[in-house]
Amino acid sequence: MERMTRRGALAALAGLGLGTMVLAGSAAASDAYPTGPITMLVGYAAGGQTDLVARAAAKVMGEQLGVPINVVNKPGAGGAVAARELQQAKPDGYTLLFHSNTVVNSAPFIMERVDFTPDDFEYAGMITAYQVGLVTQKDAPFDTLPEFIAWAKQNPGFSYGALSPEARLYIEQIARQEGLKANIVPLKGGGDMINAILGRQVVLAFSGGIHNKYPDQMKMISALTTFRHPSDPDVKTIEEDGFALGMDSRATLFLPKGTPRPILDRLAAALQAAATDPGFEKVAAAASIPIMYLGVDAAYKEMADTYAKNRGIMQSAGLIK
Amino acid sequence: MHYLLVGFEDVLLDPATLFWVAFGVTLGYILGALPGLGKATGVAVSIPLTFYLGPAAALGMLIGIAKGSAAGSAVSAILLNTPGEPSSAPTALDGYPLARQGKAQKALKMGLFASVIGDFASTVILIGLAAPLAQYALLIGPVELCAILLFSLTFIGGLSGRSLIKGLIAGALGVFFATIGLETETFIPRMTFGLLELDDGIALVPMAIGMLAVAEMIVQAGNLRTLDGEMEKLTDGGAREDHFVTAAEWRRCLPVIARGTFIGSIVGILPGLGASVGSFLSYGATQKASKTPEKFGTGMIEGVAAAESADNAVVPSSLIPLFALGIPGSVIAAILIAAFILHGLTPGPLMFQQQPRLVADVYAAMLCASAILLVIGYSGQRLFARIIKVPLRLIIPGVLLLCCVGAYMETNSVFSIYVMLFFTLVGFFSRKLDFSFVTFLIGFVIGPNLELTFRQSIQLLDHDAANLIHHPIALLFIGLTVATVAWLALGSYRAARKPRRPRPRGKETIEV
Repeated sequence: MERMTRRGALAALAGLGLGTMVLAGSAAASDAYPTGPITMLVGYAAGGQTDLVARAAAKVMGEQLGVPINVVNKPGAGGAVAARELQQAKPDGYTLLFHSNTVVNSAPFIMERVDFTPDDFEYAGMITAYQVGLVTQKDAPFDTLPEFIAWAKQNPGFSYGALSPEARLYIEQIARQEGLKANIVPLKGGGDMINAILGRQVVLAFSGGIHNKYPDQMKMISALTTFRHPSDPDVKTIEEDGFALGMDSRATLFLPKGTPRPILDRLAAALQAAATDPGFEKVAAAASIPIMYLGVDAAYKEMADTYAKNRGIMQSAGLIK
Repeated sequence: MHYLLVGFEDVLLDPATLFWVAFGVTLGYILGALPGLGKATGVAVSIPLTFYLGPAAALGMLIGIAKGSAAGSAVSAILLNTPGEPSSAPTALDGYPLARQGKAQKALKMGLFASVIGDFASTVILIGLAAPLAQYALLIGPVELCAILLFSLTFIGGLSGRSLIKGLIAGALGVFFATIGLETETFIPRMTFGLLELDDGIALVPMAIGMLAVAEMIVQAGNLRTLDGEMEKLTDGGAREDHFVTAAEWRRCLPVIARGTFIGSIVGILPGLGASVGSFLSYGATQKASKTPEKFGTGMIEGVAAAESADNAVVPSSLIPLFALGIPGSVIAAILIAAFILHGLTPGPLMFQQQPRLVADVYAAMLCASAILLVIGYSGQRLFARIIKVPLRLIIPGVLLLCCVGAYMETNSVFSIYVMLFFTLVGFFSRKLDFSFVTFLIGFVIGPNLELTFRQSIQLLDHDAANLIHHPIALLFIGLTVATVAWLALGSYRAARKPRRPRPRGKETIEV
């Protein structure tokens, strides 16, 4: 079945005139890399923040490498569909995946049928970070997580907006530790979250970073990362407030297992050029996405570290054994 | 107002901007008119282009595609009974019978006029009232939305076709298929059979292509001789009134278009509903308000006007939350956000202060797009209307190819084509067994939103139904729902008590 699908996919690609470039690349040796167009998969639909960063980066990287980079959106299962497709691609550097590293460092703990480990892919660097945080209305009567907890103790049965399993995990852990009673309202995506906050349906919500576009209506009370957000340097992280729950995620360049190191270095150099390109910086700044470039070795380390750390968090939350 | 004039100056005097707006409308219209292809394809083609265009041109082009495809999808719905977008499915109900009666040009013109009027009026609403309307829309939370969706499900009654029971079964099946995928609260996969591709549920586009277009082509292939024979007998160029919309029809349709525009604009502003809900509601409401509801589905021009006006009115009004608050209300709006950001702009209220001129340019481009739509659609009519004379054996293979391309483009994956083929089977049998695929679609589109808003409501009401008292709008719609269901039940009870009289064999004779 798996083979059939893949062959079918290639045939259909060829039918659209896209297949030629996938095939053209396969024969090239790594020292001459790249000699043909590169396909960059993105595991989210067009128009989202990852897609935006991917396209802006692909533009600069294409100029750097001297070949076009075609961005192909392959949404599904938070990127797991695209990651699995990448696993089946040739490790020749002509198919890559630009995606959040959550597909490896958190999805396997949350989704039953996803079992990626950091060893399943090669990494050619990371370029931006996601500013994940807990957000509320600008005029809410609390500014920090401890203040919120004090408020929540007086107001049991408050509503919290969650758009992902991680989002539920945070409030469940905090509520368990502090004895709060929360009503968790399921939300579908970032747009739904903004509606819920601006429409005052919920008092607190999990944001994947989109809140930075609404500085007049929203404020963040806690950064859910191990580092303070460049956009909100005064807001403490959740770890500073005494909960060991910080989970970092970064936009990462994934390659199939077995891709030669020289190719990774070549791609990482192009990615680094993108990170300092004025055009890319402009796009990232407009979307309030911080550029935090990591090279090949740093990316491998970041992947292994966050995988181990997130695994510990999920274990203590009882999500995995 | 002053800025709007400047905007018009910018757009009309800059041939490049005007060109890209016209390009977007034309591309959208053609893609919409081709069965299987549509907005999704157009957007996929144009995203890379937006990188290289100026902000006004890029935004104008994207909006043009959305407007063009919403109007163009009526063409294939009317001529071939294969709606280019799911939102044009109600258009086909009356448009196709009209075309089979030799009134294709009349139906196409009505569809176009209704589209353009709905589109233009909704654009004017966007320009004039975006800010206040968006504030009101925020008052409609999940609790209110849940009640509104519940009420809209009662329209299934009117759209069920010959049998209410079969209509309800098809609607329930639609809801059933919409439950596939990750459950929204626990994120446990439901009925995905371990396929990761199904985690995000069955995508609307490939499903609708299979159900509406491919299945229809197969049914038509089975009737090839009869259908072609009918068409040969049909002498084109007959009565003049078959080609034009008569004054009497205009009088009947204008209130219908006004209602469609109103419904479409409201649906567009509300989060997460989309054009399909708009056109279904408008069609259903028009049928309910009509003195002759039993004639719908046999070639009532009002049906075309109702569906198309609402379908197009959704597009501009779905940008209201985006422009006023920065909230994406539709797929096109989400893409537009990316385009805004690419050009260093933050969508939302700040835009009006920081970039008033650009906002004016975009508004002007949108109004120009309405005018261009009218010109392009009108000049294409005669050409399109000839399609109905082409023998089906030449049309069917081309349509099938386009359907595969359209399904594939949505997710760049062959899995979508399998989804399309599966729903081809469902669509084929629903036609053969006379189950309404329209109520199936309504169930499929409304079902997931109803579930999500219901679950949200339970949490927001703190698990206590008594808290509904704080939501008067929701109470109103719940009351309306109960009243409608009671009215339907009473009607069928009376009908059952009467001795059965032989009913005329109309396709859409209603039980109630």
